[in-house]
Amino acid sequence: MPLPEGIYGLMAEFDSPSDLVHAAKAAHAEGYRRMDCYTPYPVEEAAEAIGFHRDEVSLVCLIGGLLGLAAMFGLETWINVWAYPLNVAGRPYYSWPAFVVPAYEWTILYAGLSACFGMLALNGLPKLYHPVFNAPNFRNGATTDKFFLCVESTDPKFDVMETRSFLEAHTPVSVVEVEY
Amino acid sequence: MANGHFDKRLPSSLAAPAFVDTWRRRAMLAGLAFSALAVILGFLGQTMDAEHLGWQHLLRGWLDGFVMCFGFCFGGMALLMVQHLSGGKWGLIVRRPLEAMSRTWPMIVLLFIPVAVAGATMGQLYPWARYANWTAALQKGLIDHDMAHAIRWKAPMLNVTNFWVFSLVCFAVFALYITVLNRWSIQRDADTEPNVAYWRTRFENLSGFGVVLYAALLFGLSIYWVMSLDPTWYSTIYGFQYLVGQAFVVLPLALLTLIGLSKAEPIRSTFRVVEQHDIGKLCFAIVMLNIYFAFGAFLIIWSGNSPEEIPWYLDRIRGGWGVIATLDVIFHWLIPFSLLLSRDLKRIKSRLAVACCIMIFAGYWDMFWLIEPNFKDAARNLHFSFGIFEYVAVPAALFCFWLVYYFQQLKNRPLVATNDPHLAEILEHDYVHA
Repeated sequence: MPLPEGIYGLMAEFDSPSDLVHAAKAAHAEGYRRMDCYTPYPVEEAAEAIGFHRDEVSLVCLIGGLLGLAAMFGLETWINVWAYPLNVAGRPYYSWPAFVVPAYEWTILYAGLSACFGMLALNGLPKLYHPVFNAPNFRNGATTDKFFLCVESTDPKFDVMETRSFLEAHTPVSVVEVEY
Repeated sequence: MANGHFDKRLPSSLAAPAFVDTWRRRAMLAGLAFSALAVILGFLGQTMDAEHLGWQHLLRGWLDGFVMCFGFCFGGMALLMVQHLSGGKWGLIVRRPLEAMSRTWPMIVLLFIPVAVAGATMGQLYPWARYANWTAALQKGLIDHDMAHAIRWKAPMLNVTNFWVFSLVCFAVFALYITVLNRWSIQRDADTEPNVAYWRTRFENLSGFGVVLYAALLFGLSIYWVMSLDPTWYSTIYGFQYLVGQAFVVLPLALLTLIGLSKAEPIRSTFRVVEQHDIGKLCFAIVMLNIYFAFGAFLIIWSGNSPEEIPWYLDRIRGGWGVIATLDVIFHWLIPFSLLLSRDLKRIKSRLAVACCIMIFAGYWDMFWLIEPNFKDAARNLHFSFGIFEYVAVPAALFCFWLVYYFQQLKNRPLVATNDPHLAEILEHDYVHA
């Protein structure tokens, strides 16, 4: 697949999360949809401002947890009742209190692993290349103390001149063009 | 964090809104109604029930309600100290409600007196008090060998004098702590901002030892007041279960208070969704810790299968009690766990309030399951009687009266502690937190 050429988007840099959220809200209200925020730590309101929608990670996590629970409880029941029944101090073969702890451990294990890998899969990670790293100020600031809003060129409303003047109206530190 | 988007200011008045008076009135009316019900049930239980234990049940219900109210008051004190130690914005927002809870301690001492006089001195509740002369009781066949053995060898601890002395000493120590914590809190607010570090250290030094002391003393109190209803049994995690059980009801009550107060200033401006979410998460952690202790204790005793330990559980599972025990797990763990798992629920006030109510109800339910099967007429034999409904009427009445006192204390002070660096943060918008 040939790499696309031209402008990936316009990226505005902000000093504070509040400025970012204000600009992002305004952009969303203006009608921009294909855009993203980049922050050094999670700013949930920034995600909300650009029209973040629910994802399915929690569902994947729940299903994973229930699978883990069923798998371990089933395994213990199968071993103790059918596969290798042992008389432990006269207790019944099906001694559910003893099964709870491993079943709980597997619930957590499966839920954790499904949340982690489900999140990566739904994020489209791992990704080896992303155009925003072409912007030098992004490389320097995105993981430390700068807040970025990138309006992408695939947005139907995107226009290099108009979008730039729109972003500059929200007092960013800078607005740079990001190349593919 | 400095930025140009402050929209909120600290409201000019930090006093409790006027509708707290309406809450008080309603709690008072409900308390009176439940008291009337308790007296009627006592009469019915005494005359109509086969065992004629109406007044005895009233006393048991009183013990139940007393331990619950104790949990709200002194559990509030313990959480207040934890909050001083941990710091954080959640702590600032719950500080005044917790202080108000702790200042209700004189009422708890009053509630203790019937338990001590009728229960211990007159021996109506505690077998070790009633059959202190265990040789005579054994000869008359009133108690069995195990019970006589337990009463005989536990007598150095389980006797009426020590019951009184230990309880009153604990009350005195806690009252001292509560007085100092509350006095310093007001002095801190009146002080200037540069002295915050000094006050913080002072509170930390007081609370650090206080939390440990409280845990140790509560262990003893839970043994005296509830565990010794069955002197033959013992468990080394019992006191910790009470510690967690108190957090299990105190945190939801603090949340409910804040949610109720957030309809008006000053809490409307200061109670953000972020802190609400944080306290919700803390509730979730407590739900897990509680089931961990409760199930752990059960699993260890189940595995040990020792005739000295398992009867306590059998008394609470067989003869119909299995239903109560199963519902206890459902109320205490399954429902709060499933509800609080949801991120959205913790951020929506009306739904979180429902979860909080269920948690407080679970606290009641558990106390009933802990107390009633200790008595011979009820162990392994859950059956209908008018008297048993005293466990609804008396604790509800005591809790309502306690609420009246609590709301009064809420009104006595500004609802937000002001001399705290976190104050600026909780006045910012939700998204400027780091």
